[in-house]
Amino acid sequence: MNPLANLTRLPRAAVEFANILLTTPDAAIAQTPRDVVWTHRGTTLYRYRSRRREHAVPILLVFALINRPAIFDLRPGNSFVEYLLAEGFDVFLVDWGVPDEEDADMGLAEFVCDELHWSIRETLRTSGSEELTLLGWCIGGTLCAMYCALYPAGPVRNAVLLTTPIDPGNSLYSRWVGDDDFDVDVVADSYQAIPGAGIDLANKLMKPVNNYVTTYRRLFQGLLEGKDGRVAYQAMAKWVADNPPFPGRAYREWTTWMYKENRLVSGRLTLRDRRVDLRAIEQNLLVVTAGADHIAPPTGTLPLLDQVASEDVTLMDRPGGHIGLMAGSKAKHEIWPEIADWLRERSGR
Amino acid sequence: MASDRDTPSAADQVAALYEQLEQQAAQASDHLVGTRGFAGLLGQMAENTAAVTRLGNDALDLVLRNLRLAGRRDVVRLSRQLARTEDKLERVLQELESVRDQLEARNESPPPRARRSNGAAARQTKSRE
Repeated sequence: MNPLANLTRLPRAAVEFANILLTTPDAAIAQTPRDVVWTHRGTTLYRYRSRRREHAVPILLVFALINRPAIFDLRPGNSFVEYLLAEGFDVFLVDWGVPDEEDADMGLAEFVCDELHWSIRETLRTSGSEELTLLGWCIGGTLCAMYCALYPAGPVRNAVLLTTPIDPGNSLYSRWVGDDDFDVDVVADSYQAIPGAGIDLANKLMKPVNNYVTTYRRLFQGLLEGKDGRVAYQAMAKWVADNPPFPGRAYREWTTWMYKENRLVSGRLTLRDRRVDLRAIEQNLLVVTAGADHIAPPTGTLPLLDQVASEDVTLMDRPGGHIGLMAGSKAKHEIWPEIADWLRERSGR
Repeated sequence: MASDRDTPSAADQVAALYEQLEQQAAQASDHLVGTRGFAGLLGQMAENTAAVTRLGNDALDLVLRNLRLAGRRDVVRLSRQLARTEDKLERVLQELESVRDQLEARNESPPPRARRSNGAAARQTKSRE
């Protein structure tokens, strides 16, 4: 590129760059119309409005306890929810809300055996269906796997687990918090609800240069080259920056049981005195892993496939990152149609 | 002429060099954050930050309490009570729905006369007589 032309574009690109960063909080995300079906404490169950519900089995979307479920419905034109609705699915979403200190007593059992269990009940009641599809992402996937293991004869017909940690023993998180040097009790007791900013910092430190330098450099470079990356950047940046606190008890249990003791995959995890045995999972199972996922690497998910009793198991291992695989610009043309095809075949009466 | 066109400009070379540098820095930092030393440092930092935050919160709460004002702890206590009440309400609603379902099931089932066994019907006839 002509250096002189570059130089003349520089001031304008700099101003636009600053404008994009400063107006990111105003970005419109999670815009698909929806109705509140049920609430309990901070949890809200939504149903997305649709005029063409063609499949009998509704889908319940479950996201992680960190970040917000808006990633399922990132922005108009690039929304997984929008895509599923257009494919004729009846879509529900459970939103864990924004927990605070008063929710410090919320542990994994409360999320799986109460909030998720009751959300499923309300989903079935509202849709009039007897079965549903659970679609969980990241920790949400782990919660779904736990639920399926606890209630194998329950109403879940299909389980879709996206980039889900099951055996995170070799992950970077495990190296950070799995060691005895890290005293999870000090952190959980001090905060009651672990600040979202702390979780966000930890997530970003996993790839420090990528998160703190490359992202901004690429945005600026794009502006210099005349590309319009505002909408895509702002939607993702707004979602990334929205970090609700992690309830103290859930944080303590997640860190101890998953990273320190690796209980789930070894069948030693119990919720309300009931053992979570992955071998009890019988639902139709779709497991999606991302090759470049550094948060929940495929090696931490694949052990699930050796344990489940499901006869219908599909693995989709695709290139991409933990979030980019499902929310990136290519997702709409690559992974979403594949997931919709899988669901369509298993969502009839 | 063609060779001139293929040769990257100085600006392109600088850009390529920068990208290479950034890539190497990314690889080095990824390696760094994966070390045991970094993990220990991060853990201690998290613990220290948590402890300092707790000290600050406790001190501030003490000041507010001595001023006879509601502090964070009081608000949290109230919120917890509300949460517990909501939990109980949810359980009561579930019980109510269960009872309603049972009643509906009873109403939908055939009337008692038709359900009686022959013996019961015979007893009824006998008592009428």
